[in-house]
Amino acid sequence: MGQRYDAIIIGGGHNGLVCAAYLARTGRRVLVLERRHVLGGAAVSEELHRGFKFSVFSYVVSLLRPEIIRDLELPRFGLQIIPLECAFTPLPDGDSLCRWSDPEQTRREIARFSKRDAEIYPAYGQAMMQMGRFAKSVLGMTPPDPASLGPSSLRDLLKLGRRFAGMSEEERVRKIIMFTMSAVDFLDQWFESDVLKATMSVSGIIGTFQGVRSPGTAYVLLHHYMGEIDGAFRSWGFSKGGTGQLSLAIAESARARGAEIRTETGVERILFENGGAGGVILENGEELRARVVVSSVDPHRTFLRFVGSERLDPDFVSAIRRYKLRGSSGKVNLALDRLPEFACRPGNGPHLRGDIAISPSIDYLERAYDEAKYGDYSRRPFLNVVIPSLCDPSVAPPGKHVMSIFVQYAPYHIKEGAAAWPSKREEFGDAVVDTLAEYSPNLKESILYRQVLTPWDIEEQTGLTEGNIFQGELSLEQLFFLRPAPGWARYRTPVRNLWMCGSATHPGGGIMGAPGANAARELLRARAI
Amino acid sequence: MRYDVIVIGGGHNGLTTAALLGKAGRKVLLLERRSVLGGLAALEEFHPGFRTPGVLHDTSGIRRGVADALRLEVHGLKWRAEEVPVFTPQEEGSGLLLYRSAERAGVEIRGHSPRDAERYAAWRGFIERIRPMVSRLQNEPAPALGAKSAGDWWDLARMGLAFKRLAPADLHDFLRIGPMCIADWLNEWFETQVLKAALAGPAIAGTWMGPWSAGTVVTLLLQECAAGREVEGGPAALTRALESACRSNGVEIRLSRPVRRIRLEGGRAKGVDFSDGGAEDAPVVVSSCDPRTTFLNLLDPMDLPSRLETEIGHWRCRGTTGRVSLALTGPLEFAARIGGRFEAARIGEKLDDLEKAFDAVKYGEFSTLPHLEVRVPTVSDPTLAPSGHHVVSILAHFAPYELRGGWDEGRRQAFGEVVVARLARFAPGLADRIVAAEVMTPADLEDRYGLCGGQIHHGEQGLDQLFSLRPASSCSRHGTPIPGLYLCGSGTHPGGGITCAPASLAAAAILRGR
Repeated sequence: MGQRYDAIIIGGGHNGLVCAAYLARTGRRVLVLERRHVLGGAAVSEELHRGFKFSVFSYVVSLLRPEIIRDLELPRFGLQIIPLECAFTPLPDGDSLCRWSDPEQTRREIARFSKRDAEIYPAYGQAMMQMGRFAKSVLGMTPPDPASLGPSSLRDLLKLGRRFAGMSEEERVRKIIMFTMSAVDFLDQWFESDVLKATMSVSGIIGTFQGVRSPGTAYVLLHHYMGEIDGAFRSWGFSKGGTGQLSLAIAESARARGAEIRTETGVERILFENGGAGGVILENGEELRARVVVSSVDPHRTFLRFVGSERLDPDFVSAIRRYKLRGSSGKVNLALDRLPEFACRPGNGPHLRGDIAISPSIDYLERAYDEAKYGDYSRRPFLNVVIPSLCDPSVAPPGKHVMSIFVQYAPYHIKEGAAAWPSKREEFGDAVVDTLAEYSPNLKESILYRQVLTPWDIEEQTGLTEGNIFQGELSLEQLFFLRPAPGWARYRTPVRNLWMCGSATHPGGGIMGAPGANAARELLRARAI
Repeated sequence: MRYDVIVIGGGHNGLTTAALLGKAGRKVLLLERRSVLGGLAALEEFHPGFRTPGVLHDTSGIRRGVADALRLEVHGLKWRAEEVPVFTPQEEGSGLLLYRSAERAGVEIRGHSPRDAERYAAWRGFIERIRPMVSRLQNEPAPALGAKSAGDWWDLARMGLAFKRLAPADLHDFLRIGPMCIADWLNEWFETQVLKAALAGPAIAGTWMGPWSAGTVVTLLLQECAAGREVEGGPAALTRALESACRSNGVEIRLSRPVRRIRLEGGRAKGVDFSDGGAEDAPVVVSSCDPRTTFLNLLDPMDLPSRLETEIGHWRCRGTTGRVSLALTGPLEFAARIGGRFEAARIGEKLDDLEKAFDAVKYGEFSTLPHLEVRVPTVSDPTLAPSGHHVVSILAHFAPYELRGGWDEGRRQAFGEVVVARLARFAPGLADRIVAAEVMTPADLEDRYGLCGGQIHHGEQGLDQLFSLRPASSCSRHGTPIPGLYLCGSGTHPGGGITCAPASLAAAAILRGR
């Protein structure tokens, strides 16, 4: 039995590390336990093919809270973000749409599809920015529980009420509809061009098992608009050296503040002491003790595996069981011999230095969803492609490139059952490459190495149940005071001294860090340690 | 001035508002474009000797309080003693005859799953527990989003306190399921597909949503928490009783009197102009038409405040429902229950059947395997057809108003054939019994009933088009930004269906406003 920690954090993903760094900053003795040999969870970089460094899962950065970057001095520990320059949407008819960081260039591009849309586009950005500001103020708060108004819940609720009271009727309406509309219905209010609406609507479905026409997806649209880099909204970027570099920077920051981090140390169970959590039992049988245990892994794993349903109230167990994870996306990582060439925009232009989306029309996206709804992967999926090696040469040998392809939809629960995924992995990979090759004919012959990750693989490798990249659907019934379960959205759990700090808590997934930071704040506020 | 109030539209909501205002001593003129009253609740002959008592079928949503206030029983309205169960046939299996009463449904459900029979009772129990609160949300004015005055805030606080009356577990669950999709919610409760499909049907009927669309739990709760007894004679009987109540309360009714526009003077509603010339004045004009028709067709564009114009421009009213009426030489008989005479049935035995039916409209096509709401009114009212004959009224979901390539005679016919074939799959021999059929596409519903987009609820019932946002935050309490102009139709809170509810809230708002 060795020393006793103030806090043991299960999971060395970015949220676990952020939580650890904040706790360590106050002098607490913190230990982070990571099952894998690399830190970062879904934010890892790995050299899968010699000389090629892949951001295996999460591939772009923008949501990371600026106060966290500041508080944890992440740039000092190696964080550097390279902004994406463009959003490029190739079209099947040989045309394409490029949105640039330069507004005038973007206006000219959009005007080719609709003059009216081109004029309105900047106003849309402004409106979303305003909405994002409100949403951002909610990100950092602990959700009040409307059913049991204790003093701190009431204080948080009043804070929210005051913010709402300060708005005009028009603003209130806009906020309410944002939470309930579909991404397409919302964009219909602004734009007329199908090409523009389609490619903008995809932010509403990334990581969810919803279609662009599903009510509620307008909120996810906003969720992706809350990102900022250097205070500029909707700027996405690559982490230099790969997404894993970001996790390593947080880890370094935590270590510098005294946190201890162990990799290849899987947790088997929560150790119970006097009816509450007293530490953890490792997979190798070792027992580690701490005043509190903070789990950054998803609630299914935390409660159904590490705690055990027999120790929990049956109502809570059923709430956790019905918490929807259902992963819906996959990933294909390619090592390329040379740059891909797009038929609609030949050559190595700046259009490749950003985000490339295969999202040619609303119907295309919706059909991709329809296929997945009935238990199949999309034969013609939505793809979000980036080539980080263009902006960050350190991740590939000279002249070669890495390509990251995010794929949707690939439902975890396919008709044949999730366990059938390994036997379908390569045909799924083929469907992805075939889809992209329709736009980029030289793609296939330039592939040096290919890694296909189905949701089943994502679960296997990262431990994210059902391969859900956000640790749970971002649907309205799983947000704010309902995340991950009604009554348990304030980072505490029904188990004394067991806390949560992962993406399954408010405000949800993405490389944001807010759940980890919020949980640390609540822990300290409650004087739990 | 001869009139205090002019009501535009003689559907059941227009009639209800007129009767309530007449009862309060106002001099009311009610104008109906068609030669018959009732709108979607009108008695209509679609083939000599064969009549349907309304496009809409279900009368269980009629608010008892409104009927009592108007003493509709005196005017001939009769409540049915028994609940009308709904039969969902299966291709293989004996189907499910579903009652709201858990006791009566229990026997049927047990045949599919004993566990679900118990769960159904528990599910009904939950609905009963939240019913008082949901009823309150529905039968009181929607919260004012522009809340400024202490009174507005007090209303909001009272609403909040009503929520607090629920047990914490129920409140949590209510808030959680509010934004959910019906498929997820029903999957949490039940394992029997046909039961889930039968329950999900009403949640998606007349919407632009499938069972996997978020917000469909609310559309179901709004119906379930308001459900009471149906009336004898269906919607048309309600229309008759309301007409009688109007007349006895001094309401003047003019048929075949289409309104061309609502006239304003100094920014206030002043009266109406008729399409065929002529005009009438009144200080209050109430429109029971859908919001688009009211604001975009009946108002001079110059009179419309620009913010409202934008909001109404955004109002989604894409019709998805077609209607087929069949005249039969004999009864409608399902292979799953030979000899059964069911007044109400639903076609679609799995949640995926319903979802697939919805998928079609997203691409501008009508479903080739539609979800059908079937009603055989002649089971309880044989007078609607010649002796031994029957009438079948079908609401077919989903068929888009904006069909890719547009509706024409050929497509209408094709749609009708799809609907009949879908029903005949479960009721073999149906085709041989058909004497006559009337097929209406959403475009036809628009033409005949003046429903913008053919939308039977006057506007889609998505979460963002309900309560305080129906049809826009400035009109959800039945007044409009134009003084003297009110709305009382299904496009206002609490929404569509045969309920009389928006009309009674509108009448109360008008009486408060003067």
